[in-house]
Amino acid sequence: MALSASSPVVLEGENLTMRFGGLVAMAEVAFTLKRGEILGIIGPNGAGKSTLLNIITGIYIPSSGEVRLEGERLNGVPAHKIVARGIARTFQSSRLFGDLSVLDNVVIGRHTHTKAGVFDAIFRRGRAKAELEAAAAHAETLLKSVSRGLHEQRHRPAGELAQADRRRLEIARALATDPKVLLLDEPSSGMDDADTDALMDDIRAVCAQRPDLALMIIEHDMRLVASLPHRVMVLDYGQKLADGPYEEIRKIPRVQEAYLGRKATQHAGA
Amino acid sequence: MTRSEHSARAASNPVAGMATVVVVQLAGAVFLRQFLLIEDWRLVIGLLLIFGAALVLMERVPSLEARVEAAFARHSRLALLLGMAIVLGFPFVLEGNTYALHLCVISMLYAVLALALNFQLGSANIPNFATGASYGIGAYASALLALNFGVSFWVALPVAAVVATIFGFLLGIPSMRTRDSYLALVTIAFGVVIHQLLNNLEFTGGPNGLVGIPVPELFGHSFGDPLVIFGQELPSQANFYYLSALLVLISIVFARRLHDSRVGLAWNALRTDELAARCQGINVTWYKVLAFAVDAFLAGFAGTIYAFYVGFISPDNFTFLVSVTIMTMVIAGGMDNILGVIVGAFLLTLLPEKLRAFSDYRILFFGVTVIAFLMIRPQGLFPQRLRRYGD
Repeated sequence: MALSASSPVVLEGENLTMRFGGLVAMAEVAFTLKRGEILGIIGPNGAGKSTLLNIITGIYIPSSGEVRLEGERLNGVPAHKIVARGIARTFQSSRLFGDLSVLDNVVIGRHTHTKAGVFDAIFRRGRAKAELEAAAAHAETLLKSVSRGLHEQRHRPAGELAQADRRRLEIARALATDPKVLLLDEPSSGMDDADTDALMDDIRAVCAQRPDLALMIIEHDMRLVASLPHRVMVLDYGQKLADGPYEEIRKIPRVQEAYLGRKATQHAGA
Repeated sequence: MTRSEHSARAASNPVAGMATVVVVQLAGAVFLRQFLLIEDWRLVIGLLLIFGAALVLMERVPSLEARVEAAFARHSRLALLLGMAIVLGFPFVLEGNTYALHLCVISMLYAVLALALNFQLGSANIPNFATGASYGIGAYASALLALNFGVSFWVALPVAAVVATIFGFLLGIPSMRTRDSYLALVTIAFGVVIHQLLNNLEFTGGPNGLVGIPVPELFGHSFGDPLVIFGQELPSQANFYYLSALLVLISIVFARRLHDSRVGLAWNALRTDELAARCQGINVTWYKVLAFAVDAFLAGFAGTIYAFYVGFISPDNFTFLVSVTIMTMVIAGGMDNILGVIVGAFLLTLLPEKLRAFSDYRILFFGVTVIAFLMIRPQGLFPQRLRRYGD
């Protein structure tokens, strides 16, 4: 892959802290993400993984610290503008537009790359229509490149898709925004091993086609975490426990404890 | 799947497709004519039963519905031309019945209102209970302009729409801080405030409303005079019939173009999932406010025509109940489906009038009929359709 030691940093976070009233959901977390890199994020439930994604995508504004995309501060930029700047995401519980066609879901992903407003739609229809049809053509190509099976189902309502295809569609929709950084929130949740393997192949294919795309994947499935990311960051109780290649991470006792639970570690030790 | 098969079948036999379009449109027109003209309540019930049976048939045999739809999609130009011819010729077959024409005018104004609300309720799922208020603002704005400044109808029409749009923005902006049921409450409050203001302000004439709104004129022809076309004399209501038909046409063009555009898609996206829509780069707040503005704009138009048609308006024409009725039209007709919304508007406007024979019980029958139709077609008479591109 395109990642090398000299690749520039695309996204970085510094001292990120998130408080909800008295609850500290995230304390002074820092991270970097290089161009073309895949960063895995692991940690038990409630460790602050999704909070981190919500901070990066502008859904939460961090209590302190800052997020920078290619050196530009993102704090306080509204979520819809962050997408336009190049950060796209998927959701843990897939959030598709279920009553729209598969194709329309991806066309909506082209929103930031199209312009037509109410006035254009009504009085300059030719222009608005040409723009939307170009977006639809783009969406078709994208669907085809992400998954042939999905492309064949493009005229079905998204709500009728099987679980694995829903995930793929979410990834395709996010890619339609032409992101520099793609954040995947537990892409394999609710999938069996075969589906997860297929998903990993799809993600690899997506990355191969876009060598500059940086990926952040929150995951619980250790098989995926072991093989896909270049680097893994461990979060626990809103703090960063460790950050490094999977082979190093898995050996740290505190990681085993945080991830597998105290009991399991004791058993493993015994 | 089956859809493409059917369109293929319709394509292989253009004559059958064209015949389908002609038969369906003429049947619809004849049905509406009979429904408007008959007096006997037994015949009204009979026609409603026929309508119900057609709905059952559509629900039970989806392939039939798909075939009709494919025929209309394939012969859209024929459908459009024939539809326009039917609308233009319709007043001539009403036997000079002024009441039937009046009902047509009111139904069409409600169709415009329902189409206006459909941008919000249907496309974006914003429960706006203030369409009646926007309707009233349009009516009052144009009537006040005409009465106080002698502004002609044709100038008052766009001005009133702009005034209503400004109020739409005013309502839209605070509404954005709330959602769902709370949003509904804000719009209900707005409607009540407008009603109370109209009722209590000096210059709006208080509860008596505004009287003596001048009749519009066009090229020296007063809209109060009978309309003579090809030697046939039509009652004066025909003037407003054609005017409101034009407004319905404009609303349909607006609705179609917006629905098939990036704006319509953005509305649909935030309807399903606001957070996901934001994360696709959609400025959810702006698009919601926009829906309020578009709704108010069209409602303002309808209000102006109503004011000049009836000649006097009072706050009671624009109550909360009017907003609820418009909302029912959208829901019963079919959310986000233009044809459905228009049919819903006609049905709900005409039903109470045609059930007058039941006097005190007519609202009961009205309710039962609407519930029955919704039981047959739970998604509305004509549910929303998926978009297609290019093909």
